[in-house]
Amino acid sequence: MKNRNFVNLNINPCKMCMPIGAVTAFKGIENSMFLLHGSQGCSTYIRRHMASHYNEPIDIASSSLNEKGTVFGGESNLKKGLKNVLKQYTPDVVAVATTCLAETIGEDIQRLTQEFIVEEGLENVKIIPISTPGYGGTEFEGYYAALTQIVKEVAVEKSESNGLINIIAASLSPGDIRNIKDILTAFGIGYVLLPDISDTLDAPYTDEYRRIPSGGTKLRDIEKMTGAVATIEMGMTVPSHISPGQYLLEKFNVPFHKCAVPIGIENTDKFIRLLSSISQKPIPQSLKSERGRLLDGMIDSHKYNSEGRAVLYGDPELVYAASKLCMENGIKPVLIATGTQSNVLRELLKGPEDDYSEEPNIIDDTDFETIQRYAKEFNANIIIGNSDGKVITEKEGIPLVRFGFPIHDRVGGQRLVYTGYTGTQKFLDDITNTLLEEKYTKYRKSMYKKYFNPSEDKKALQEEFCNKLEIARKTMTHPCYSKGACKNARMHIPVAPACNISCNYCNRKFDCVNESRPGVTSEVLTPEEAAKKFVEVKSKINNLKVLGIAGPGDALANFKNTKKSIELIKEIDPDVTFCLSTNGLMLPFHAEELISLGVTHITITINAIDPEIGAKIYKEVNFMGMKLEGVDAAALLIKNQLKGLRYLSSRGVVCKVNIVMIKGINDTHIEEVVKEVKKCGAFISNIMPLIPAKGSAFENLPLTNNKELNELRKKCEIDLKQMYHCKQCRADAIGMLSEDISQEFSQAKCGGGCSEKTKTKDEKAYTFAVATRTGVAIDQHFGHAEEFYIFKYSNSEIKFVEKRLVSKYCTGEEHCDDEDSKIDRIVKAVNGCNAVLVLRIGYRPSKILQDKGIVVVQTCGRVEDAIKTAVKDLETVKELAQAVD
Amino acid sequence: MKSNLPVDILDDRKDFVCCKSGKGDGKVKCDSDSVAGSVSQRACVYCGARVVLNPITDAVHIVHGPIGCASYTWDIRGSLSSGPETYRNSFSTDLREQDVIFGGEKKLAGAIDEIIVKYSPKVVFVYSTCIVGVIGDDIEAVCKSAEKKHSIRVIPIQSTGFAGNKSQGYKAACNALLRLMGESIQPKVTGINFLGDFNLAGEIWIVEEYLKKCGINIITKITGDSRVEEIMKAPSAELNVVQCAGSMTYLAKEMDKRFGIPFVKVSFYGLEDTKTSIMQIAKAVGDKQVLEKAVELIMDEEYKASLMLEQYRQRLKGKRAAIYVGGGFKAISLIKQFADLGMKTVMVGTQTGKAEEYEIIRSIADEGAVILDDSNPAELEGFIKQKGADILVGGVKERPLAYKLGIAFCDHNHERKHPLCGFEGAVNFAKEVDMSINSPIWKFVKDENKCL
Repeated sequence: MKNRNFVNLNINPCKMCMPIGAVTAFKGIENSMFLLHGSQGCSTYIRRHMASHYNEPIDIASSSLNEKGTVFGGESNLKKGLKNVLKQYTPDVVAVATTCLAETIGEDIQRLTQEFIVEEGLENVKIIPISTPGYGGTEFEGYYAALTQIVKEVAVEKSESNGLINIIAASLSPGDIRNIKDILTAFGIGYVLLPDISDTLDAPYTDEYRRIPSGGTKLRDIEKMTGAVATIEMGMTVPSHISPGQYLLEKFNVPFHKCAVPIGIENTDKFIRLLSSISQKPIPQSLKSERGRLLDGMIDSHKYNSEGRAVLYGDPELVYAASKLCMENGIKPVLIATGTQSNVLRELLKGPEDDYSEEPNIIDDTDFETIQRYAKEFNANIIIGNSDGKVITEKEGIPLVRFGFPIHDRVGGQRLVYTGYTGTQKFLDDITNTLLEEKYTKYRKSMYKKYFNPSEDKKALQEEFCNKLEIARKTMTHPCYSKGACKNARMHIPVAPACNISCNYCNRKFDCVNESRPGVTSEVLTPEEAAKKFVEVKSKINNLKVLGIAGPGDALANFKNTKKSIELIKEIDPDVTFCLSTNGLMLPFHAEELISLGVTHITITINAIDPEIGAKIYKEVNFMGMKLEGVDAAALLIKNQLKGLRYLSSRGVVCKVNIVMIKGINDTHIEEVVKEVKKCGAFISNIMPLIPAKGSAFENLPLTNNKELNELRKKCEIDLKQMYHCKQCRADAIGMLSEDISQEFSQAKCGGGCSEKTKTKDEKAYTFAVATRTGVAIDQHFGHAEEFYIFKYSNSEIKFVEKRLVSKYCTGEEHCDDEDSKIDRIVKAVNGCNAVLVLRIGYRPSKILQDKGIVVVQTCGRVEDAIKTAVKDLETVKELAQAVD
Repeated sequence: MKSNLPVDILDDRKDFVCCKSGKGDGKVKCDSDSVAGSVSQRACVYCGARVVLNPITDAVHIVHGPIGCASYTWDIRGSLSSGPETYRNSFSTDLREQDVIFGGEKKLAGAIDEIIVKYSPKVVFVYSTCIVGVIGDDIEAVCKSAEKKHSIRVIPIQSTGFAGNKSQGYKAACNALLRLMGESIQPKVTGINFLGDFNLAGEIWIVEEYLKKCGINIITKITGDSRVEEIMKAPSAELNVVQCAGSMTYLAKEMDKRFGIPFVKVSFYGLEDTKTSIMQIAKAVGDKQVLEKAVELIMDEEYKASLMLEQYRQRLKGKRAAIYVGGGFKAISLIKQFADLGMKTVMVGTQTGKAEEYEIIRSIADEGAVILDDSNPAELEGFIKQKGADILVGGVKERPLAYKLGIAFCDHNHERKHPLCGFEGAVNFAKEVDMSINSPIWKFVKDENKCL
């Protein structure tokens, strides 16, 4: 097992440096101050770190070494620093500790402090120098090294036997130190506790603030340690060269007992027995009761605990004690880690006394990056350690029981009592409750997921419900079905060139890129090409929600291509809404397959339900090799349309019915159509005006104006929801309804057969752009026009050619609102025309048009009349021009 | 009684403290080394560099030194990210005794190699620490060769801890940013850079939203919620807007020299300063439309904020505030904020304020206010008691002191979890001050001796 993921890097340190350990030790000495010999940052960082844990002011002085001090020695800084500390704090003890910097430049603090004492003639102040290079170890070594140094400096003479017991405390919380003192008091034992941070780092609020809080181990008590009956040192993992107990044994023959921090029943038992045997005092009844209650509690929670898989980390001494607690309660420590270098830990926890089934994984000199990896790998469900482990909770979701130092993201770290029988009980409860909380918040879901098997009926119901929800969601986001979804884009793939019926209003022969109406496309794609184009479009348009097949022929007359295209694209994007439009002839044959393909929205064009009327609209129907005409053809088509519509609707497919309003043919019949399709389950109907496409049988039929159209729609709305925002788009349309950008994705350019290019060479041919909302009367201001109707005059005939949307000539989004660029767009839209007929026009646009050779006619009234007048004017102008020539 | 308490000040510190009085024109000494043994609240050069650069979210920050420097600065800033979280890790070469004796260059080179292979970061910042400055590792050379080897930016930061104070660290960070921006002049883009906001609790997002509403685009945020690529685009901006002047003025001046980008100083702390700042930026870069939008925004937001503020004003009127913060700009805004709440500032101090900032502080501080530079707990204690402050504004280290003295506290440091900038920040600030000053607990504290 590797200690660290990285060789040269420590990522997210699981340790601090020696000086902070030394500070903690000295904070437990009465009326002491601490001076760090080094640069200013070290003391500030340590102060900040400790202040956020203890919530106490932590004053640590610094010699504030600067560049000069570093180069020429820090003597003057150190001495001045000491002087200022004495003046501001009047301490009895001052610790002078080194830092990385002081050690590296070779500061001899022993000598310097000696000199200082002599120079200042100090008598009542003890100055204790201590070497704590930051790179020399962690806070753990710093703590015990400082304690040893204090003993060495203060307990210099063998004092008389005094019957006291020396207690060397591990780096525990002030709360725990108070608890240890309570245990000692319960025994009635005389003791010297080193260090005693119970008051200094958790001071009560008092009226008068003391810069150095009261409390702490007294120097004269430390002097007595040499005459004690024994030393008990909480330091199973402490190396002997930094063990105060070892020093007292070697130098003054004080019997030395190592013990673990009294956390866990076994460790506490040992500590209590040790106290009892050394002091030869019986174990107080109160402790016995506490032990009994702990046992009782351990029994109560043992089964919950046995599910625990814990990661423990931190100071080796604390980690050792907490690991024992886990093990004796059946919590498996899957990883025991410390940032300190410690071989002992492995030995201690692997010892023969352990009869626990699996040996834990133990790593030292590690970092949190590594701990995190193992925590995940070993499936830990609880972590126990200081606040720094929250990184694991945050990233892996494993809950953390806070223990040790620092606890800076919760309050009360300084008051935690986890020692002794009562403390152990509290610690264990915290662990158990964390495990329970995890379990209780998750078990309902996990059990349901694992075991619940809904019966078939319910399953089907559930599925149906889910499907309906899904389809409803898709309807909401489909720009043709919900006006609110107009921001969403759709893409039509022209994969269905063939058609199986022939409508009198249809002409699919040619394409102009500027023309927008059904049946028009710039190119026909294979399913593979369509899929490729889809990927391209999707990468450029982020609001693409709908993939439609709308010809240019009939989607179902090209069913192979349609099916293949849907399958290919579904693989690329399973979430896109598939929709298609059809004349409905083959619907009964393909309806089931369409549903299983996942097509959720289908548009059927039903212009009539009366075969007599239908016969006027449909010239021919090709049904399975049969060619039908007249009423028979219409009857078959209508039957299949309605049959298909009924089936699809009953299966939850959302159906739209398109109706082309053809004046004089079906306009009075449409209401009936709507009523019927409603009965068959249609969701919405879309009544569209006839576009008299050139070359179609209906090319000369009159136009329907918007007013007539909307009146009809309103009438029909009583029966069925109506679509008002249809743009009658192309078979290869891409983008939002209001803005077709298909040409950006097309290779094709305006090719042959286009209306503009079919100009006859007639001298008297003119193209007019008319600003009209209705197609009937000139009623639009030039600058307000959103579309122009293009009419052609030739051979004394006036023909409607196309509608041009101004928005199509947009130059780019950011300019859209700009008035100037709107004018530019309009000018582009009317390009190529001989004249523009408008209600009104501003001076500037008028000038621009004239510069382009476009005649501007400001007029009102019927379009046809205006065109006729305009032609006359143009002729006159031409004649004049010729005359001048 | 309390006001007559003498405050003991060390002789070496006397020039750093002054009291604003009608006649006196005493100046505060500042921008100097800390006095040894005074228990300064300042950190070191490395700290200054680290806090400035740390919020760059997709950068790896390697601390070349012993573990302490990295350990104590791991994820301590409440800077938020809208994307990468790389910056929230702490990378250290964790130098040991052997490295100090034989040099740490090899280890550093190895560390950079490892991190680039595993994390593939966009940039690696390498910070020097005290002992690196002493043992003489050439981090410049190590970074250069790593840059060549991996073809990503590896930028050394000369942040040896003892080589000056926090301000030198800011400068080192600015130099690193300049290196990242490169030399070349970039074509201008419409928009500004925002210097000196570190996105504590989402503050830069608040400011960005204000400016967006006015039609002003931020190109680069330095360094709150910024990315490496964003910083590299900074030279294309029209204007630099400087908030944390203490850390960023140097950068702004350099960018003016190198890329011809002018700068303005702003502060989004407090209603008054937020309003002025928005108008200032709008005037500098916007047209009439932007100005109109700015006015509209201010009217809307100020109206909402002042409704809230009014109730706090009544609860806080006449209370006395003490301020001890990092930089001068923050102190200046705070004095105005307290004045707006009807409070009196009785003490103002900063860790690294500049002479010109102290001049402003002097001019706007209330009569009799004590002004301190690079102060320490003993002085803070003395003046808080002497002036009878009801609240202290400061950071983590100052908080326990205020509480032990039995007064309220407002955290204006980098660990806070709620925004204090902009209009909503001004309300949050008032709310926090009110919550602390008017907490019911002080009743028990004041009666402490009579209770039992």
